[in-house]
Amino acid sequence: MATFIQPPPPPPPTAANPEAVKKPVDYMDLPCPIPYEEIHREAMMSLKAENFEGMRIDFTKGLNQKFSLSHSIVMGPTEVPAQSADIIKVPTANYEFGANFIDPKLMLFGRILTDGRLSARVKCDLSENLTMKANAQLTNEPHMSHGMFNFDYKGTDYRTQIQLGNGGLVGASYIQSVTPNLSLGGEVFWAGQHRKSGLGYAARYNTDKMVTSGQIASTGMVALSYVQKVSEKVSLATDLMYNYMSRDATASFGYDYMLRQCRLRGKIDSNGCTSALLEERLNMGLNFILSAEIDHKKKDYKFGFGLTVGE
Amino acid sequence: MAAKKSNNEGVLSRISESPIVYKGKRAASDAGFVLKKLAKSTGKAAWIAGTTFLILVVPLIIEMDREAQLVEIEAQQASLLGAPPASSSPQLK
Repeated sequence: MATFIQPPPPPPPTAANPEAVKKPVDYMDLPCPIPYEEIHREAMMSLKAENFEGMRIDFTKGLNQKFSLSHSIVMGPTEVPAQSADIIKVPTANYEFGANFIDPKLMLFGRILTDGRLSARVKCDLSENLTMKANAQLTNEPHMSHGMFNFDYKGTDYRTQIQLGNGGLVGASYIQSVTPNLSLGGEVFWAGQHRKSGLGYAARYNTDKMVTSGQIASTGMVALSYVQKVSEKVSLATDLMYNYMSRDATASFGYDYMLRQCRLRGKIDSNGCTSALLEERLNMGLNFILSAEIDHKKKDYKFGFGLTVGE
Repeated sequence: MAAKKSNNEGVLSRISESPIVYKGKRAASDAGFVLKKLAKSTGKAAWIAGTTFLILVVPLIIEMDREAQLVEIEAQQASLLGAPPASSSPQLK
């Protein structure tokens, strides 16, 4: 039995949690790490706000405890990919109908849009530790439909995942807690259709005040993120994305305020793009959303408002 | 003295054609150009800073103010109901 006694911690125990500092680390009893693909979870939550342009209304109605229907209307300009530098926007309107079934052991989500896109998600607990997730998307455009299966196994201090997708996509990832705060992981994937394979590594260090994570992959992607929880309501996040192949780097800095009446997220990045998303709770089950995004370099200004009704 | 006074115009024209005045004029026009450019770029920077401020900071100030008001109202209610004002325990309605 390899039980180490940690050297005495240099800082004096804080008044808030004196017993947490003193405890020696039992390396046989480490906490379970978070899944490999969610390694940047806190930074993503703060920095990747869903900014939109135009109007959106989401309405969710629960028919009973497990079954609910959702309706969503999105109206506004959408960008069309173009060769020229200036942005072309086309006004669009879409209605989305969704059905959700939520049970602790089984979750089913289906979505259909008026432009013919259909997506389905399944999350099913096969046993206590083994979870199966499936995603499928069907579109009327050729080669855009895809499906994917994930099998997640959760151990006591590690997680592993196997991924199978169409187009010959096979992937596996593994993440292991090394100390109570540090976890290390790696992944391999092989895309049969494109004859590409890759390898990636990731590390994550989290305490209850901060989270930092880094990821590197053989595709040339390097991602670093750092989140500092200033208080219970406020967290500050920063991240750096670097692509070795295309030699472009982006850094961004954002704040995330979770107040009782609202949630406000703001971000500024090194491309000169500023964005903010305000989710204001007007009433129980009625949220008002305001979104703003300004790109000074491209002269692209996006503003949107929305309503979310029902939980 | 008299001779100097009689060809006063000649002196003026000589002064205006002198290399020092010429250099001064060049410098003045250059300075004007630079100042114009500087004003333009300062204005642009101020515009960018102002709009960024409007997007990132103004909503934050408004929401913080609302939150502070809410806390104050709750503290008042708590003190009215006789509970200790420091602990914001959930009120029974």
